[in-house]
Amino acid sequence: MSQVQSKMSSETEQRTEEFSFPQGIAGFPDATRFGFIYEGRGNMVCMQSIDTPEAAFILTPWEEDRLGEAPTLSQEQRQCLNLAEESALIWMVVLNPFADAEWVTANLKAPLAINMSERLGVQCIRHEPDLDLRFHWMHQPDRV
Amino acid sequence: MMVLRRKAGEAIRIGDDIKIVIQEVQNGRIVRFGIEAPADVAVHRLEIYELIQAENRAASSEDALAWLKGDSDVTGAEQDE
Repeated sequence: MSQVQSKMSSETEQRTEEFSFPQGIAGFPDATRFGFIYEGRGNMVCMQSIDTPEAAFILTPWEEDRLGEAPTLSQEQRQCLNLAEESALIWMVVLNPFADAEWVTANLKAPLAINMSERLGVQCIRHEPDLDLRFHWMHQPDRV
Repeated sequence: MMVLRRKAGEAIRIGDDIKIVIQEVQNGRIVRFGIEAPADVAVHRLEIYELIQAENRAASSEDALAWLKGDSDVTGAEQDE
């Protein structure tokens, strides 16, 4: 995980940093340290746990055109992110390419908020009942 | 499972850092409580947390990077649909 490239927030520079998710990721409580790997495929990145190999997620930036405004952070979440500047905050959604034969889906109930300055992240579980757990994000690549 | 009786206004403490205060019992059915916990402790309603837990497991795979590289034959650890 020494060579990590990210295209998050339109950045294309090489990244070697480790990102910390102090609360872990639901289902993977021991996975708190991640690297981001960009493979030149659209805006998608792989968020790979450094300690738990099976904890690897495909992420893509929150798109306001499609999804509306990004969620609002609670005070506790801001504290967890040690967020001082709004400009350092980016939102990502977790894609699921494995659940549906036709669609890659996006989990809108639990996006990731990441403080790029502090390299801290938190998965923000949202309680609104109308949010999609498997929003149809895009067709499976081999079906396009 | 430990079971405790508490009245509104009373509290319980879990370890040194977590405090749960019973604020109100509505109609004898719904309990409102406040939770004080460190920032690195996530607190969620159980049913929503379990839903996200299952979806994270379904979306996560050692093959995620292979999928991203264009190998669409890879499958996740849990295909539940």
